Amino acid sequence: MTKAYEGPLSTKFIGEPSAIYDDAGDFWVVNFPRSITHHHTYGLLTPFFKGLTEGKLLATKCTNPECTENSTWLPPRADCPDCYARTEWVEVPTEGKIYAYTMLDYAGIGIEMETPYWQIDVEIEGVDTIFKGWLKQGKPVTGMPVRAEFRTNNPTHTILDICWVPK
Amino acid sequence: MIKFGKGNLRVPQWSRRVFMVAGGCTPFRKYFPEYKLEELVMMGYKMMLEDNDLKLSPKEIKDQIQYCAYGEFADHFQDQLLCEAKIHDYLGLEPLWNNGIKTGGATGGAAVLNGAMAVASGYADTVLVCGWERMDEVDTRTGNFYISTAACKDFETRMGRIYSSYYAPMANRFAEAYNLSEVTRAKVAVKNRGYAMSNPNAQQPGRHTVEEVLESRMSAYPLRFLECCAMTAGSASVLLCNEEMAYKLSDHPVELFMAGGTHTLRVADRRHMEIPLLPNEEPGMYDELLKDSGRWPGFESFLAARFAAYLAYRMAGIHDPLEELDLVELHDAFTISDIQTYGDIGLRPYGQEPDYIESGDAYFEGKCPSNLSGGLLGTMHAVGATGIWQAAEVLWQLQGKYDKFHGAEKWWKRAGKEKPADWKSLQVKDPKQGLWISHAGVGSHVTCGILRKAW
Repeated sequence: MTKAYEGPLSTKFIGEPSAIYDDAGDFWVVNFPRSITHHHTYGLLTPFFKGLTEGKLLATKCTNPECTENSTWLPPRADCPDCYARTEWVEVPTEGKIYAYTMLDYAGIGIEMETPYWQIDVEIEGVDTIFKGWLKQGKPVTGMPVRAEFRTNNPTHTILDICWVPK
Repeated sequence: MIKFGKGNLRVPQWSRRVFMVAGGCTPFRKYFPEYKLEELVMMGYKMMLEDNDLKLSPKEIKDQIQYCAYGEFADHFQDQLLCEAKIHDYLGLEPLWNNGIKTGGATGGAAVLNGAMAVASGYADTVLVCGWERMDEVDTRTGNFYISTAACKDFETRMGRIYSSYYAPMANRFAEAYNLSEVTRAKVAVKNRGYAMSNPNAQQPGRHTVEEVLESRMSAYPLRFLECCAMTAGSASVLLCNEEMAYKLSDHPVELFMAGGTHTLRVADRRHMEIPLLPNEEPGMYDELLKDSGRWPGFESFLAARFAAYLAYRMAGIHDPLEELDLVELHDAFTISDIQTYGDIGLRPYGQEPDYIESGDAYFEGKCPSNLSGGLLGTMHAVGATGIWQAAEVLWQLQGKYDKFHGAEKWWKRAGKEKPADWKSLQVKDPKQGLWISHAGVGSHVTCGILRKAW
């Protein structure tokens, strides 16, 4: 049960009196609400997110001739973890094959997708990593070919600006 | 293929032997409004001091502590930065140095490892390792979101905002690659929730059937609610010592060997790697397996768990884990991550993980039972406390004190529960050594601890 606070208030108090939950025993439980916005930078990865709004899938590649791996990264990273050289942007194919998948039924608060939906992990030729995304239509199976679609119109400026459809 | 540097594979060596002598915990619940966080921590800490047959009084032991390692997963949940300082003050342990440890789901294990390093290095002879989590200040779906911020915020969090959705693709991949049926997955949930019936502190004990598990609500396909651990409020503590102090405090100390491993938080970034082989594995034995799956660890296995076991087995001189370990406590946050770990720590070779369950080896009175405590699925996942509580459960098994800490009326009463009339002891017969795994991220941090009877 929630009880409204009815005691005397200081004239200097400009907050909202908190509700008290005391239905479980002799202890008070009070609310502590807040609303918070973070200003989050994409830093050196900004070209990737900008690329999505232009219908391009950009990865980074280490081209250092002394690097033992010269991996191509998607998600991209500005610095090579193998040799610490600065990586270079490369455009990668907008098609791939499903490596793994799940159907998301019960999501945490703030989810920006309508549930249920398919989350998929995509292997792309020439890319050393496995890129996570979501499947807009169809039912995934392992190995299924898919191609990317981009939210170039009214983009979210997030990773949700790319999705996949069966090829 | 990524190969590891020779120097990177050095096996850790304690400069001094490290022992564990006592453990304590709270009851574990979804909501715990009767106590503030520091009051809960005190409850578990006092149990450690008072109820472990130590040979000095609680005050005398308090006067011996020189260092504290504190585990807390998320400032979000506590809504309190520097919570460690509040707890430390509440326990009256100033001016001793403490470190707050944060490695996601492996926070508890990492805190024990940190405490062990303090003993091994000589910084301290007596160390308190204590962890907590209070996940009941926010509603469940907000909690799901908080936890999902332990995925990559740029590339993963928005894809699900719930951690089951980062393990579920692994479950589908594993099922196809290594022939795992959903029935075997469900058996893990039935087993661990069933063992939780004997644990007075358990949050979600239950005698379920495989059918019930498979019919429970879907979280992220194929993982159902009964295959996922819950959010918990609670705390746990263990006491670590050097050799001299261990025998001064206890007639039944256990020796600790421990190491950790890591891997990328984003599963996307798992490149193909060489497999660090366990002492009983032969070079080339996985060539055939990798022909099919193409990459290791892929989504099937955890490099962090394999690397932790690779080091810890060598520290402890263990050759064949299934033969030499008498029990294990694994991080069964999800049925699938439990099963994946069987291969990583050598309870089965890679590709044969389901057989550890199907053979009966994993059950009470089996060859090497797992999660007799009820595990994370049945008993608790108060994240910062989890790896510490698991260690305490292994300690008590080795000391022959399973019944003392699970069967005595006192603990059922403390938890506000009736001891079931059909309560069953899960004490392993004369165990010599056990292992516990503490696991974070989608395999980002894993510790492997081995406790060995030392009397």
